[in-house]
Amino acid sequence: MIEVIKPGLETSIQDYPGRIGYWAQGFPPSGPMDSWSFRLANLLVGNSADAAGLECQFVGPALKFRDATVIAVCGADMKPTLEGQSVPMWESVAVGAGQTLALSFATVGARAYIAVAGGIDTPSWLGSRSTFHKAGVGGMEGHALKAGQVLPVGTGDGTPGRKAKAEARPLFATEKIWHVEVVAGPNDDWVDEAGHQRFLSSDWKLSAKSDRTGFRLEGPQWTFTAKATNKAPEHGSEPSNIIDQGYPLGAINLAGQTPIILVNDGPSMGGFINPYTVPSAAFWKLGQARPAEILRFKAVSAEEAQALRREIDRACSQRNIT
Amino acid sequence: MIYPEPKFLAGGDRFVLIEFGNEMNLELNFMAQGLATAIAGQRTKGIVETAPCFASLLVHYDPDQISFEDLQREMTVLIRALGPSDDIVLDSRLFYLPTMYRDPWTRACVEDYCNKITKKEPDPEFVARINGLSDADQLVRVHSGTEYWVASLGFWPGLPFMMALDPRCVITAPKYNPPRTWTPQGTVGMGGASTAIYPVATPGGYQIFARTPVPIWDTEKRFPVFHDSIVLFRAGDRVKFVPIGKEEFEFVEAKVKEGTYIYNVVEYQKFSVRNYKTWVSVLDKTKRF
Amino acid sequence: MAEDVTTQVPGNVWKVLVKPGDKVNPGDVLFILEVMKTEVAHEATQAGTVKAVNIEEGQEGVDAGTVAVIID
Repeated sequence: MIEVIKPGLETSIQDYPGRIGYWAQGFPPSGPMDSWSFRLANLLVGNSADAAGLECQFVGPALKFRDATVIAVCGADMKPTLEGQSVPMWESVAVGAGQTLALSFATVGARAYIAVAGGIDTPSWLGSRSTFHKAGVGGMEGHALKAGQVLPVGTGDGTPGRKAKAEARPLFATEKIWHVEVVAGPNDDWVDEAGHQRFLSSDWKLSAKSDRTGFRLEGPQWTFTAKATNKAPEHGSEPSNIIDQGYPLGAINLAGQTPIILVNDGPSMGGFINPYTVPSAAFWKLGQARPAEILRFKAVSAEEAQALRREIDRACSQRNIT
Repeated sequence: MIYPEPKFLAGGDRFVLIEFGNEMNLELNFMAQGLATAIAGQRTKGIVETAPCFASLLVHYDPDQISFEDLQREMTVLIRALGPSDDIVLDSRLFYLPTMYRDPWTRACVEDYCNKITKKEPDPEFVARINGLSDADQLVRVHSGTEYWVASLGFWPGLPFMMALDPRCVITAPKYNPPRTWTPQGTVGMGGASTAIYPVATPGGYQIFARTPVPIWDTEKRFPVFHDSIVLFRAGDRVKFVPIGKEEFEFVEAKVKEGTYIYNVVEYQKFSVRNYKTWVSVLDKTKRF
Repeated sequence: MAEDVTTQVPGNVWKVLVKPGDKVNPGDVLFILEVMKTEVAHEATQAGTVKAVNIEEGQEGVDAGTVAVIID
């Protein structure tokens, strides 16, 4: 059992790959934004890949562990301490019965992941323990953690002192600039050549009004092809309006002139175009980008994106845990 | 336009959007749903799930099991096997939903919008006027006079986007600008040519003029109809709004609260695109109810 | 006793509720940041007088760990 002493800014139960198979009903996958760090944390404590853990955003929680166990913290450095003593990130750590783990605020990166041996054992909801707070499903009573709650933990078999090899960890951006891969489409033919050039060569600032539903970007104007203006009136009057269509996860959704990257808790369909899509391999970068940091987009093919994804899968394996 | 060949548009590393056309045309949705049903029947290897929308089908695939090219090939084969869209026959449940038109709750919501955001003509009168209907009473007759085809779910879990099946009942409505910050749960509204039901009190931009006391999603599965799904609708369902008064609304609301409400759903019908098109072709579309 | 009140999250400054010279008590909200559509109130932990306010309402992109208010 884990008692929530302080909840942090917004800490929630998530699992990987999240809630899959309900896109047609409007349920997004939810799950951890930086699944790379999340998966390494689970490996470190000896959990199976589907074990649920905690995603901490910007300011982490303080948690009291009723029973002795093994934990690991990966992702943004929130300076974790156990009973006030600093503990390392990217390593499994023994926790004694009654001890408190406290995470502070991150200054580099945005999200940290806490895995506990046995996983968080809340009820599965449509096949996943991930929290979808908008609809109040999954997680701890459908929402982020609250002080005073007690989280159930499964039976685990963790060994302290295991480390994730440095070369198998995500490499965080320096100088507050993230180079994020994108795949053109589905609606890339609605944007003109100049618009594509502008998108791929500009600095896009991440707005503080971003969250797990969507990442709002600030940058230059988009310009369009005839497709965006010579269209049946039922599309809508804005160039970026389209007849409602399904949205891929990671779509860069153009609401008027505002690009919003649709992330883990985002909508499954709507009436705006998606000229580019962030592939799954680049999601961890989104998960670690802080407001006011810059995103620069790099076009890759779907095949290249798939290869990048396989590299991350290889990194998240037992052989990289020593 | 209905495309002679559907377009396969990549969505990142794991999604493909299959576009059947670029207009609001039920036929395009029948094709999307026909393909979705064929994929589900075949259990195509590597396809994780599909989600139909008005004129397109979103496919979520596993690139470790199937490549984008192979997926495109498989889908093309399935689409050809479907044959002309007229041949499509889909299982289709029919829901009778008791609905109070010109209800006080949507009226209060619109008044709140007028007080806090910007003035506008009350929604029922506005929608009636811009569609050339004589008054809001005719709006009720026309809007409730047809079955609605659930083309897609989304934007919010379980929120159905529906199209009028009877062309004599087709009306359109522009969206709010700016949108409302809230909408009563169970509100029935229209945006463009689509009708939607708000599962919970979300913000929204549709013109609103009716409300149903019947839940369209149920996380607690209090009613048998939610046994297999917490979301009431799926694409391919039809909905008939049954106009009721305030007393009946309160009666149904009480039954829902008690947990004794019985959903009125018909589950023995198939929807034949050919039969539908034949029926549409003989209607006098110049006449309204 | 002096207290440097630092920002705990990165975000935009939504409200600044004190100015230099104001007397504050423990628990008084000094300023509110906005991030992820969540408001994060920052309070004084000690009694004192506000010496300096280094942020202003509407300011965007303030980093976490910034010394926002100094209390004497």
